[in-house]
Amino acid sequence: MIELKNIEKYYANKGVKSYILRHVSTSIKQGEFVSIMGPSGAGKSTLLNILGMLEEPTYGAYEFMGEDVVSLNERKRIELYRNHIGFVFQAYHLIDEMTVAENIEAPLLYKKVSSAERKSRVADVLDRFNMVAKKDLFPNQLSGGQQQLVGIARALVAQPSIILADEPTGNLQSPQALQIMELFKKLNEEENITIIQVTHSEVNAAYGSRILHLLDGVIKEDLSLQQVI
Amino acid sequence: MFRLNFKIALRNLWKNKGYTLINVGGLAIGLASCMILLLYVGYKWSYDKQFSNYEKTYVVYNNAFTSAKLETWIWTPGLMAREIKEKVPGIAYASRSTFPEQRLISHGQQRFKSAAIFADAAFLKILDFKMIRGNRDKVLQELNSVVLTEGMAKRLFGMEDPINKMVKFENTEVLKVEAVIADVPGNSSVQFDYLLPWALLEKQNQIIRNSNWGMNFCLTLVQLKDNRFFGSVNQQLKGIYKRNEQGSNSEAFMHPLSKWHLYSTFENGVSVGGKIDQIRIFFILAFCILLIACVNFMNLSTARSEKRAKEVGVRKAIGSSRKSLISQFMLESVLLSFLGMLVAFVLMEISLPYFNGLLHTTLVIEYQNWKFWSVLLSLTFFTGFIAGSYPAFYLSSFEPVKVLKGFNIAVNSSLSVRKVLVVFQFVFAACLMVCTAVIYQQLNYIKDKPVGYNKAGLMEVPLQGVLLKDPAKMQLLKERLLKTGAVTEVTFFSKGMNEEGDATFGVEWAGKKPKEDVLFNYRSSGYDFVKTIGTSVLAGREFSAQFNDSAKVLINEAAVKLMGFRQPIGASLKLWGKSFTIIGVIKDFVMASPYQRAAPMVVYYDMGIMTSAVARLNPAQNVSSSVQKIDEVFKSFNPDFPVDRKFVDEVFKQKFDDEQLLGTLANWFGGFAIFISCLGLLGLALFTAEQRKKEIGIRKVLGASTANILALLNKDFIKLVLIANLIACPLAYVVVYKWLSAYEFRVSISVLPFAIAIFLSLIIALITVTAQSVRVVKSNPVDALKYE
Repeated sequence: MIELKNIEKYYANKGVKSYILRHVSTSIKQGEFVSIMGPSGAGKSTLLNILGMLEEPTYGAYEFMGEDVVSLNERKRIELYRNHIGFVFQAYHLIDEMTVAENIEAPLLYKKVSSAERKSRVADVLDRFNMVAKKDLFPNQLSGGQQQLVGIARALVAQPSIILADEPTGNLQSPQALQIMELFKKLNEEENITIIQVTHSEVNAAYGSRILHLLDGVIKEDLSLQQVI
Repeated sequence: MFRLNFKIALRNLWKNKGYTLINVGGLAIGLASCMILLLYVGYKWSYDKQFSNYEKTYVVYNNAFTSAKLETWIWTPGLMAREIKEKVPGIAYASRSTFPEQRLISHGQQRFKSAAIFADAAFLKILDFKMIRGNRDKVLQELNSVVLTEGMAKRLFGMEDPINKMVKFENTEVLKVEAVIADVPGNSSVQFDYLLPWALLEKQNQIIRNSNWGMNFCLTLVQLKDNRFFGSVNQQLKGIYKRNEQGSNSEAFMHPLSKWHLYSTFENGVSVGGKIDQIRIFFILAFCILLIACVNFMNLSTARSEKRAKEVGVRKAIGSSRKSLISQFMLESVLLSFLGMLVAFVLMEISLPYFNGLLHTTLVIEYQNWKFWSVLLSLTFFTGFIAGSYPAFYLSSFEPVKVLKGFNIAVNSSLSVRKVLVVFQFVFAACLMVCTAVIYQQLNYIKDKPVGYNKAGLMEVPLQGVLLKDPAKMQLLKERLLKTGAVTEVTFFSKGMNEEGDATFGVEWAGKKPKEDVLFNYRSSGYDFVKTIGTSVLAGREFSAQFNDSAKVLINEAAVKLMGFRQPIGASLKLWGKSFTIIGVIKDFVMASPYQRAAPMVVYYDMGIMTSAVARLNPAQNVSSSVQKIDEVFKSFNPDFPVDRKFVDEVFKQKFDDEQLLGTLANWFGGFAIFISCLGLLGLALFTAEQRKKEIGIRKVLGASTANILALLNKDFIKLVLIANLIACPLAYVVVYKWLSAYEFRVSISVLPFAIAIFLSLIIALITVTAQSVRVVKSNPVDALKYE
């Protein structure tokens, strides 16, 4: 599903290149649950952003579902990730001015889904996440865990084939974090959604099927969890 | 999508009430100012366009070639209209009419001095005012008939039916009311209360009955059958004077009726504008004020961009395209400008009566007029788009990764744009301040400039009824007035003290070059003229009862200079072929425009052509009792005429109406511009203070005083205002220099207005910024720091 070949990312500052990613090559198949780990500054988030097409690599080839992302124009790229990618952020990044239901509905608006279908999908997701009673609240009226649930619901509502999560539990207490990870695992197993998460936590990483260890922009280790166990 | 965006826009506006208030307030004032100015411009634009064939109607002007220059007048001979109608092909109608004069009309005890025009029957065919009663084809043909406007009819007859009733004109002629027409609208160049047949004028006035092609005194209107005749008719008009009078130096030409009001200034016989210049200024002013309000919005939106950035990032991350973000921000600004428009309505309704009083207009918001609504809507959309354009493109350009990571957007670029916008606002505001100050300086300069006589305490009363052309009665009047003790001096004059007109080329003197045509003002004055008006005789004497002065003249300084007499007293000159001896030289005094040098003048003694009595009030007496005594004396001669007295200095003031209006408007709209700019500064200051909360907290912890921090915050804004002034001063200098150069007498441009503008704008900026940031600065630094 995802093919990365020799991805490099650096910032040139006064002639000095500071590398974030170097020679990153990997491939991720449909249905995998990948955790990207590594110390701060290792380039985890940058890698995730490149995967999510929010950033462009300085060099290298990136194929997403058989399409060369680097050469796509912006419109096509937006099209591609609208349909296939869902984002979950550490700081939730819900839109403060929108209610829970509206936040969840927003990606569907951009996909130009019909009004009736939007309603039913939002209702469906709310139902699944047990948040029907909270649908008219604003984000700042929710706890962190609930906000992250909304964030995930928002990522899911567009029925993506892949979810990219940047430290989804970073701001949460451990019981809530556990709940979120369980949810990811369930999605991965039951709906075959590819999940790629950036995390610091070994515990969280253990929910996945594969771990990419990043150090100074280079993949140091690529473990399949079955092997570990 | 639209509904959700709309809802979010509303929520956003509600959440940031302060900014919304500033934005809506600024936009409302901007829109209201713009709409009022546009209403005014539209009103001026609509002048003389209410007639059904106005496009085919023309005013005949007269180009008189003199040796000095080419003069253009609207006065044409009484014989012209008929000549045009009969001899020139392609004419639908041609009419002659007098210019309006205040004349007495009465019905029983109802007596009014109202504006009267003598006109041909064709006059009402060309200017087709709505006929309320009567037949358009039959009016103004019988000698003893009159056409009233609706308002005049109401005043004379109340609720009675006026048709076929009798009214008295000047207390002598009995006239039958033939027709009633609609009131003349304010935006018509021809203003009158009633129309009289031309035949009546000829009956009353022998000179006019026998007038020739050399006498230019009436307004000639021409309506063509079709505009394709314009060229040929104009060609015919060019030679019309010369065909009818040997040696005439005049050429006639047509000027469109629709341009009469706005393009009334002629130079070298060609239209060079007129009031249109003022209209242009107002038009530019309207849009600049609106632009300033838009700039406010841009400034505040981009300043607050960091708050919106997260939303932009999230929206982009979940699949929004840039286009849909732009449309969302546009929606917000259009919504805001709609809110502004609602408030603007209230402002307009409140302020219109005041502006109507100021501008002498009857502007109203025409709610049923689709044109008004379309202008309004397009203005609102325009404002919304202009105001929203920059924020929309700027905000939507954020890259999601950068803004979501936390904040480090390159603030520098947006900041410089913001600075440029603030500078722009203050350049405009400072320019307006300088202009306003200079306009007022010029006004005061002209008002205080000596006019050559003492106009305070001087009263003039038109001679009417039995007093006209009767020297014995005039003498009696003078004696009676003096006997009351209310006045100290009385004299007579052939025109009002502030009236123009009565000018002639017919002055000849020894040493005059053969082809030299010079325009002289001619007047006639009674005894004690110089003493009464408080001017002085530079040489010789004035007219006096001790001498026989029928063949004597006074001339003014300008005339002496022009004629080049070393020893004017005793020299002789010829006026209209008749020889006069100069007995005195009087000081120049202002009768026409106070902005120009006095024209040469000859004053002769002929009690038969006096039109007004001029009296100096006794300063020792109470004015109101004096006035009452004077009224009584006049009433004793003419019980049926209102006295209609005027104070000379009040009439004089009307000469400044245009400048006064410009000054007042510049003052008001300059004030608005400054106010809106300050609103913007206020919002920006508030924002900066909040943005730098943490910095302020740290500085305070380190020991900075409130004053230190206020100075820190103010420094940036003061710099901007100073830069703005630096740009504004030369700009304003050019503008006022150009404006002033139109006046022959003008103030020299001093440093003062510029100093005022710089000082005021700095003070205003300082107060605004300080007032806004003081709250933040005074707050406890711990509150600002503990959330970190």
